[in-house]
Amino acid sequence: MATQPLCVCEHCDAVYRRRALARREIARCLRCGAELYRDQRYDLNAMLALTLAALIVFVIANVYPIVRIEVQGVASEATLWGAIMATWNSGVGVVAALAAATVFFFPLGQIALFLHVLPALRRGRVPVHFSDAMHALRLVQPWSMVEVFLLGALVSVVKLAGLAEVIPGIGLWAFGILTLLLTTLTGFDLRRLWEIADGARR
Amino acid sequence: MTEQDDISRDAELPEPELATPGRWSVSLVWLVPLVAALVGLVLVVRAYLQAGPSITITFDTAEGIEPGKTEVKYKDVVVGKVSSAELEANHEFVIVHVDLSKEAASLAVEDSRFWVVRPRVDMGGVSGLGTLLSGAYIGVDVGQSDKARTEFEGLEVPPAVTNDQQGKRFQLRSSDLGSLDIGSPVYYRRIPVGRVVGFDLNPDGRNVTIQVFVDHPYDRFVTNRSRFWNASGVDVSVSTGGVRVNTQSLATVLVGGVAFQSLPGDDPGEMADMDAAFPLFSDQNSALAPPDGDQLKLRMRFFQSVRGLAVGAPVDFQGIEIGTVSGIELEYDRDKKQFAALIDATVYPQRLGRAYRGLRDGVVDHDHGDEQPINADRQVFTDMVNQGLRAQMRTGNLISGQLYIALAFEAKAKPMMVAADDGQPLEVPTSLASFDQIQQQVADIVDRLDEIPFRDIGRDLSDTVRSARDLLRQIDGEVTPELRRLLEDVRATVNAANQSLAQPDAPLQQNLTETLDELDRAARSMRSLTDYLQRHPESLIRGKANDPDPTDNFPNE
Repeated sequence: MATQPLCVCEHCDAVYRRRALARREIARCLRCGAELYRDQRYDLNAMLALTLAALIVFVIANVYPIVRIEVQGVASEATLWGAIMATWNSGVGVVAALAAATVFFFPLGQIALFLHVLPALRRGRVPVHFSDAMHALRLVQPWSMVEVFLLGALVSVVKLAGLAEVIPGIGLWAFGILTLLLTTLTGFDLRRLWEIADGARR
Repeated sequence: MTEQDDISRDAELPEPELATPGRWSVSLVWLVPLVAALVGLVLVVRAYLQAGPSITITFDTAEGIEPGKTEVKYKDVVVGKVSSAELEANHEFVIVHVDLSKEAASLAVEDSRFWVVRPRVDMGGVSGLGTLLSGAYIGVDVGQSDKARTEFEGLEVPPAVTNDQQGKRFQLRSSDLGSLDIGSPVYYRRIPVGRVVGFDLNPDGRNVTIQVFVDHPYDRFVTNRSRFWNASGVDVSVSTGGVRVNTQSLATVLVGGVAFQSLPGDDPGEMADMDAAFPLFSDQNSALAPPDGDQLKLRMRFFQSVRGLAVGAPVDFQGIEIGTVSGIELEYDRDKKQFAALIDATVYPQRLGRAYRGLRDGVVDHDHGDEQPINADRQVFTDMVNQGLRAQMRTGNLISGQLYIALAFEAKAKPMMVAADDGQPLEVPTSLASFDQIQQQVADIVDRLDEIPFRDIGRDLSDTVRSARDLLRQIDGEVTPELRRLLEDVRATVNAANQSLAQPDAPLQQNLTETLDELDRAARSMRSLTDYLQRHPESLIRGKANDPDPTDNFPNE
């Protein structure tokens, strides 16, 4: 086994000998009871499930309008891409490109890469271009800023509420959920995927 | 270093506690994508279920229409949205694609109408001001048909009446449109109760059919006895009653209008049906005149100038206008070798009212009874002509010189037979009106005066005067001096006579006085004698006795 035989508790620095786990087993620190590690297959399952959920929510978030504003009978709905196009048309192309990248392309890339890597690993095989995909995933993750976008949108909605009638759209809720899902996905340690891949190669 | 060594070296290290969570926790994490998928599915299904039919509407222009933004509103409720707008292949129209919502699916039926609501200013007022802020939207008038339809032609102007408006539509027949237009108001007792919603030229091109819409609840005032008239503009009438200006409202002066009212009388009649047809009268007076009934054509020949008589001039019987002049023609009468004015008139005998009905009943009774009404009318007029009915051309207005035709009985009329009914208008003999008679008499007098040879008379007179002047001159030159001399002689004579007569001591005077004295004396003697002879008649025989004492005379006297 190529994995480190030792394991240190993140919380109380107690050192343990790493040992193989049965299915769905969780290793816990004896001293403080914190989780040390758990059965890897379980992680893959969770990640895949969340990634799939994130994909669905991502589609919803991009299809449905984020917000609907009504002023004196003038109604205006904005989708993410509508907003990006409006930003582009108003002359600030850099901002539009940045928004498109951080809110659309990088999250989409993240989800796509996970979807490429995870199902194969789960079946115990190493996907093609595994190392490239993992490098790309590492590069992409910090640039995925759906949560920033969500914060910005929420602030705008709150500020606009005084001027106009603002109705949060399905897209806004979807972005909220997407933020949670992507945050959870980002929270996974990519190193463990390497470990799983090593195990699979063996 | 082998694996075994590692294990042995780390043998003193404790092993972590191992626990196996329940099996159910595996499936728990998969709930997340499941829920997400479910939500997505619900959204998709809802979108599918909410999607109504897609329709296309053609407009002349897509002004104000913005794909993805412009809404379709019915009663101000959003029922759809423009998804795209494109140019038609021939570049003539704009094709607008509209996605209707599910609830509005019933809007896409055969007789639905669509138009773009924009701010509009016309004679009827300002509309669509709200769209200044909200932008244009597409208005719908939902049809009542249940046949589905997906392609529509958009209206360029909003319909004057939408299907959801309560009220009734009526047809008006008129010879021309006048100043009416779509949207012109309809008045009932000067209250605007509806509007003109359309007009068509009849296929034969002779008449115009005007559609009006009367709103609920005023539509119940439209009865089968209602009369519609054109209230457009200002109606100024100058008559013997003075000058009358009549208009429904100031707005009708600008945009025209139609007014209606039931015929005066207790019976308002029954409510008119939808799409009932009415004649459109030109003014209120003709509209509210008693019903005309059948018409009868009359023809008159006037051998005089018809200046002042116009088509449309009234035909009057005993002061009641029973018809109008319908045609004026000139005709040459070969026999009389003069021109005659051929006047055609249309009269409505029913306007004579009760009197006429009596007459007509009489005619119908002693006829076969199944007589055609028009013939009965003709018969009545024929009888009246036989009784001396004559047409006269009279002056209606001395200032304007307008003439009218008066039908009147003439006591001295010669009996005149009227031609039988041969399809031609009934010919009514004419006579000169009193005014014309005076004119005729004056003309006669003038003719007579014309016959007097004023020129000859003048010449003669002139000769006479000339000779008189000669005579006078002669008299002046010859006679006058003689005459003066004569006069002087006469005066001298008179003076002489005066002298001889007037002077008291003139010998003639003296002689005369003496003579008179003598005469007096003689007369006295004569009297004494007669007295004496009276008293003493015997003295004639015996002679005079002695003079008695004068005193004796007295007792006998």
